[in-house]
Amino acid sequence: MVDAVIEGIRERVAAAIQVNQSVGIQVPENRHGDLLEAIFDSMSRNNTHTTWTFVTVSKTFDYLSKAFKEGTRNTNIKFIDCISRAAGISDVSTNCTYIESPVMLEKMILEILNNFKGMKRDLDKYIVIDSLSALMIYNEPEIIREFISLVMNKSRAENIHVVSILVEEEMDSNKLIQLNDKIIVLRDSFID
Amino acid sequence: MPVKKDVCSTGIEELDLKMSGGIPLGSTVLVTGCSGSGKTTLCMQFLFNGARKGERGVFFTITEPLFKLTKNLEGFAFYDKKLIESGMVNIIDLRIISERLGLDTEKYTVEDAGALLDILKDIADELDVKRLVMDSITALCYRLQTREMIRDFIFKLGTSLAVMKCTTLLTSEVPPQTFKFSQYEIEEFISDGIFFLGDVDRKGDLIRTFQVIKMRGTDHSRAKFALNISAQRGIELVPLLKSTEFESFLKR
Repeated sequence: MVDAVIEGIRERVAAAIQVNQSVGIQVPENRHGDLLEAIFDSMSRNNTHTTWTFVTVSKTFDYLSKAFKEGTRNTNIKFIDCISRAAGISDVSTNCTYIESPVMLEKMILEILNNFKGMKRDLDKYIVIDSLSALMIYNEPEIIREFISLVMNKSRAENIHVVSILVEEEMDSNKLIQLNDKIIVLRDSFID
Repeated sequence: MPVKKDVCSTGIEELDLKMSGGIPLGSTVLVTGCSGSGKTTLCMQFLFNGARKGERGVFFTITEPLFKLTKNLEGFAFYDKKLIESGMVNIIDLRIISERLGLDTEKYTVEDAGALLDILKDIADELDVKRLVMDSITALCYRLQTREMIRDFIFKLGTSLAVMKCTTLLTSEVPPQTFKFSQYEIEEFISDGIFFLGDVDRKGDLIRTFQVIKMRGTDHSRAKFALNISAQRGIELVPLLKSTEFESFLKR
């Protein structure tokens, strides 16, 4: 049952991202793990023609690498960890860039864009932001709105697809997710 | 980006874009900022990027000993020891020159200032440099005893170097969190351009910022950018999220 649910989510996300430049996914907290599993599954497939940057604000890279071993070792997936340094964790990984603090939003933008610099134009490029709601724990909603607008504008210019996650229980405002071309709302009732 | 002939490209892509290709050749630019804002790194990157294009440069330091300066540079990808060994980038301690000239190291008389100016021009001429950095003009101004001497010194230095088509960066030290371009408030009026390196406080973390305040002879952006210093890429600029400004304003 669980595998089928994850596969279902994966297919929904994959289909939406092919059609739309940016996809926002609203998810209940208790299903956040399933969504991540579906996304990691997506990232691990078709990796010859795709490249991903996964920005994590909700879980440390160390946690992700333990939970999704294969996905985090894939060289086509680069990670940007925005919380480890702020939490005093001084891990180092060649596959991950660490940002000192989740309020350093401009640095996140630079690192995201640098990950895609010099890549072939015909590659399918994706950014996953996990999550906007976690960013809002550390920042004011206005600045996150500005941040995500800038990320999306830059991404559109570079033909990069953006997947942004909003965890329902953590969110103060659902205005952020409205900036996306397509919104997927995952519900307990749909999943269970 | 096509390089215009009459400009001096900094080699920092985003910065050159903001100035229609680079700093107008022969300009004197004040690089203003507080301690840790990235002034020295920006100036060094400017010199090393120029040297890679065959433009010789010289860095005059008054504030830091040479060994410390080069040690700090070693972590940057733009740093190339060979460019120093080949004389494409020259790093000179101005205090040693002052001592050799027999100048009082603390306070300069008019004659001292004249002698120092002559030696700076001679070095620039002899090495045929196209890029010159003085780090910092504030420390030098401290040794000049009157506002007139400061004005005269910077004006004459800038004019002589402009004739040689040498583009000059003068670093200027200001206290943190102030919108002030220099210690003596003269330097900015004689300079052709001003780069202002500041910082904004966001929830207790400091975000470095960069702004071109003026640049005579070229169209330039006056928008504020976030500045990042990376070992791999040196100075990087990205638009500053504007809500930051509002937060900082409220805190004041």
